[in-house]
Amino acid sequence: MIGIPTALLLGTIMLLLLLLLAARGATAAGELSPRSDVPLLDDETWVDLCPPEYVVRIFSPEDCEFVSTSKSPQLEKLFRRERKLVALAWVHQTSTALRRIMREHTEATRQSHDLHFATETKLVLVYAELMFLCAMLFLAIQTAGPQRVRGLAVYADTLSQRLARAQQDLKTITAGREFHSASS
Amino acid sequence: MLSQLIVYISVALELLLLFRGFREKLTSRYPAFYCYIGFVLVQDPLCFFVYKWIHPFYTPVYWTAEFLCVLLSCGIVFEIYQVGLEAYPGTARMARRVLGIVFAIALARALATDPRWWVETSAKNVESNLRAVQGAAIISLVVLFLFYSVPLGKNLRGIALGYGLFVCWSVICLTFASSTIGKTHVLFGYLYPASYPVVLLVWLRYVWSFRDNPVPHGAVPLEIEYQQVARTTHRRLQDAKGRLVKAVGS
Repeated sequence: MIGIPTALLLGTIMLLLLLLLAARGATAAGELSPRSDVPLLDDETWVDLCPPEYVVRIFSPEDCEFVSTSKSPQLEKLFRRERKLVALAWVHQTSTALRRIMREHTEATRQSHDLHFATETKLVLVYAELMFLCAMLFLAIQTAGPQRVRGLAVYADTLSQRLARAQQDLKTITAGREFHSASS
Repeated sequence: MLSQLIVYISVALELLLLFRGFREKLTSRYPAFYCYIGFVLVQDPLCFFVYKWIHPFYTPVYWTAEFLCVLLSCGIVFEIYQVGLEAYPGTARMARRVLGIVFAIALARALATDPRWWVETSAKNVESNLRAVQGAAIISLVVLFLFYSVPLGKNLRGIALGYGLFVCWSVICLTFASSTIGKTHVLFGYLYPASYPVVLLVWLRYVWSFRDNPVPHGAVPLEIEYQQVARTTHRRLQDAKGRLVKAVGS
């Protein structure tokens, strides 16, 4: 029923996952210490998503066109380099914020009694899509520059904002339910 | 000769594993796992006895015992799910759904296969397929453990790790053994049982003594959170004061 390629694929995936489980085992215990659910001043991992107006601006060709009117190749080169760095920083910031949102979400839902399979699956798929988009954007910015990937960046940003909002709503509902059950 | 050596080593390691299990009272915590070890401990000498003294019955006895062993080992997968996700109802719910999907796919594939396959195929092939289903179930569980950052205690991690490695190796060896002929077939026939002592060593390392699963803490109480913010603010104010004094002094 299963052929050699399927067996090899199954075996390889399993081996990699088990190695990851073994490696993670030692560090997982440290993650159990109580963690605050609000951003503390010392929390360096707390990165928020960039406002959508900034994203439109970073990837907009307007600035580039304006700089090119100066007829200075050096200035143009400097602008392109700087803008590329800003765009890459945005991709990095977005993926960090997404990881934080998802970590927060999994920490909240793993102990939840009323988790919805469909909603959870949808969130995981959106997260996977966003992480894939971030990787693609990183490569595209490096090769083609930020101006050419504006549409993709705006789409990724819209999806990120939606994911963040969904997680925030879920947190509010869970907190409300916990508060209600504690007071009754 | 090599097969006998593997059997002797395995029996010795299994006895040690059971001894440690009873001594550390791990048998009551992980009954399915120790039942499996106990069964394999009986199975090995039984098959060896049949092989030596009632040789014509060896093949049916071996494959019947092996099939029962696969069924018993399903208990280990269930135990990993049950003990590992005891404190995490949300992840347990996801695991039930995901495992349900995995088993439904396996069942659908089995039903879609030609019914004659079950009659005509070898016992090795059937075992390989059952192990593949177990492998898929273990993959699903491990993915959920990793995704939801569910921490596993040393004992349970060892059981999952050892059993996962055994299933992984079994799937590969049994598939190769049933798909190849000649020397390769013989080689994989040896490699399959040879992996078992290695797995037993992994288990021995992880379940030598009792280590409970880490218990998750609840949310941080408000007072502690306030104290953390106050401490950080105080430290930052001190830093700023120091810099100010330095700037005014220079």
